[in-house]
Amino acid sequence: MKSFNRIKKITITLPIAAIIVILMIGVSWSVAAEKINFYFPTSVQGPLTREMQKMVKQYNKMQNDVKVVATFTGSYEETKIKASAAVKAGRPPAVALMSANFIHEFVAEDQIEPIEFFLKESKQTTSDFLSDFWPGLHANATVNGKLYAIPFQNSTPILYINADHFREAGLDPDNPPKNWEELVVAGKKLIRKEGEKTTRYGLMLPMQYNYVNWVFQGFVMSNGGQYYNTHYLGEVYYDTSTTRGALQFYSDLIHKHGIMPASITNSKQVSTDFFAGRTSMMILSTGTLSHVRKNAQFNYNVGFVPSKVRNGVPIGGASMIIFKGITEKERDAAWDFVSWLTAPEQLGSWSRFSGYFAPRKSSYEMPVMKEFMAKNKDAAVALDQLQYAGPWYSTFKTVAVAKPIGDAIQAVVTGKKTVEEVIPEAQRKADELLKPYNAAHSYIQGQ
Amino acid sequence: MMVDACHLWLAMRKVKYMADNVTARGKKRLLKPFYNAGYIKAWLYLAPALLFLILFTYYPMVQVLWDSFFLKEYGAEKKLFVAFDNYRRLFADEDFITAVKNNLIYAIGTVIPSIVIGFGFALSLTQSSRFKNCIRSLLFFPTLVPLVAAAALWIFIYFPGIGLLDYYLAKLGIQSTDWLGDPDIALYSLMILTIWKNAGFYMLFFIAGLQGIGEEYYEAASLEGAGWWQKLRYVTLPLLAPTSAFVFVIALIHVFTHVDHVIVMTLGGPMGSTNLVLYYIYQNAHEFNDLAKATTATVLSVMVLLAISFFSIRTMERGIHYES
Repeated sequence: MKSFNRIKKITITLPIAAIIVILMIGVSWSVAAEKINFYFPTSVQGPLTREMQKMVKQYNKMQNDVKVVATFTGSYEETKIKASAAVKAGRPPAVALMSANFIHEFVAEDQIEPIEFFLKESKQTTSDFLSDFWPGLHANATVNGKLYAIPFQNSTPILYINADHFREAGLDPDNPPKNWEELVVAGKKLIRKEGEKTTRYGLMLPMQYNYVNWVFQGFVMSNGGQYYNTHYLGEVYYDTSTTRGALQFYSDLIHKHGIMPASITNSKQVSTDFFAGRTSMMILSTGTLSHVRKNAQFNYNVGFVPSKVRNGVPIGGASMIIFKGITEKERDAAWDFVSWLTAPEQLGSWSRFSGYFAPRKSSYEMPVMKEFMAKNKDAAVALDQLQYAGPWYSTFKTVAVAKPIGDAIQAVVTGKKTVEEVIPEAQRKADELLKPYNAAHSYIQGQ
Repeated sequence: MMVDACHLWLAMRKVKYMADNVTARGKKRLLKPFYNAGYIKAWLYLAPALLFLILFTYYPMVQVLWDSFFLKEYGAEKKLFVAFDNYRRLFADEDFITAVKNNLIYAIGTVIPSIVIGFGFALSLTQSSRFKNCIRSLLFFPTLVPLVAAAALWIFIYFPGIGLLDYYLAKLGIQSTDWLGDPDIALYSLMILTIWKNAGFYMLFFIAGLQGIGEEYYEAASLEGAGWWQKLRYVTLPLLAPTSAFVFVIALIHVFTHVDHVIVMTLGGPMGSTNLVLYYIYQNAHEFNDLAKATTATVLSVMVLLAISFFSIRTMERGIHYES
């Protein structure tokens, strides 16, 4: 009786178990989505990180072929380090959102796939594809004439002003300073002092290492300069009249007019001081727009970065890249995800949420976006300034080459050295760093 | 890492001592030391730890040393043997020299004050009472905060004008200071943070050390008519020597291996004034694409750390003899 029971049990349970196993295999087969890794940084943690995870979730729900695992990898620099480490370990992420001026480093080490490769499969030409993106963005995404990245979020420096302070000082808040002369005039009127101590500055700029060069490049461009050779990775223009002029202007703003503090203020400090009314103007990224919109307890306005001989700003931001060293299936999945994420609709919604501008022109033709732009005049100013935007400095060993001029600016700002002293030194150090590249790539007689 | 190596070395010495004792108890030393039973047992005990140390500590050290003689120019395909050229480039780099100088100032300016303060805290808080326990926990609290978090907090303390520090200094009539933005002050601001963070940690070791000193020593000293200072000088300090040596090593190693606050607060700026050697290595390896220089600087700092460790193990051993 007992043994019969056991047999009965087996005869019943066995088929059930078999059915369950078969079902499980079947189910997992049908949802065997290609799993790919996506690394992304954000400049502002918290809300942007959550929004990105939300978009990825939406994509994963929308289709069954690809499952994207999105990993927040910290700052732009940290994301570069983590991606490089993953490549070296032989397990690159499929996709990463990468700072636009680091793209060529991945190309030099042959770690990313040119976008042409995917465009060919979908029978698009590169020029057709690029024509929808703002012209200022093309240079940073292209290396030696080949497209390697798709711009995702972009920004330029922009001038923020405290409209209440302007009115109080007898200035017109609807007309922020347009050029350097007007900036000095307005700045002088906006300063407040208690005895020797300045309680309110006219203007503040971010001066810490990874931000100072970008804003300064804008001033060099305004002064008619180039800052670096956009067509060749081995040249920077530090020891030039235009760069000297821009640095002298910084020096005058601080040491002659007292409009800016003689201090290495970081971007957090600049925005905090702006919100606290301790500075009437600041120049920060357009990526800070949403943050200002939320936190300013007063009326504010925005304007172009003041010009000297022309308007000019560098474009910053990050682009999508697809790595080599992944399977063919993963690569197809990566392209599918990237195409979806960089479609006009997604770029538009990310732009509205973050404050970055959308890299595609067609994003702005969508009704939601038109409505948003009509409501937010500041975002429209940022977009207008784009016509004067050029590429972000990007050279052989970008960060190392940027450091000498960053040090130079900091030395002048703090009053340790003069423009004449620091400029030749910065150029000499940069040239030293660029030597190996020039030896390998440039035709120089006698070397 | 260095501390592990020290422990291992100490353990090996101890094992040898034990092994010698074991054989001495037997009638004769018949076998060579390496083959005797005590020795084999000792090596067996050591094996697991040794295996991991070799895999994760000694092998990478050798590899780094080897790599420091090669240069793979960024973007180039081949690695070239360059002998000591990386060392020449390193010493020609003004940023490296600045980082070394900064690190020396930082070492002297944080190790001594935090040990002295930690010792002072310990002296006044050795005897347990509810109140003293409470103060102890308060003083130990900064140790519990990760350095990254502490640095993020101190950014707001150091905020010029509206930060906590300037806010209270202003009440005393002191003008606002640019704690992190002035190249002459920034390094000292980081040092204050470090002292705040570490003094409580060292206090804990000193309290443990002080409680290990028998009451009879002090009674004897009192009978001899020793005053407070004499007791401190001739009883407490000598008997505390092993603890002090240990704390000193820990503190020195801290100075070379913790740079989270540099990354969070200053990025080595303004003008390289807060750059420390480890951050310099990090920058060269990951931001400047000069792995060879980073490797070479690593070799040098490992040598310095090894020298510190072995030098201080000697003093620690002397201390142990004193105790027994």
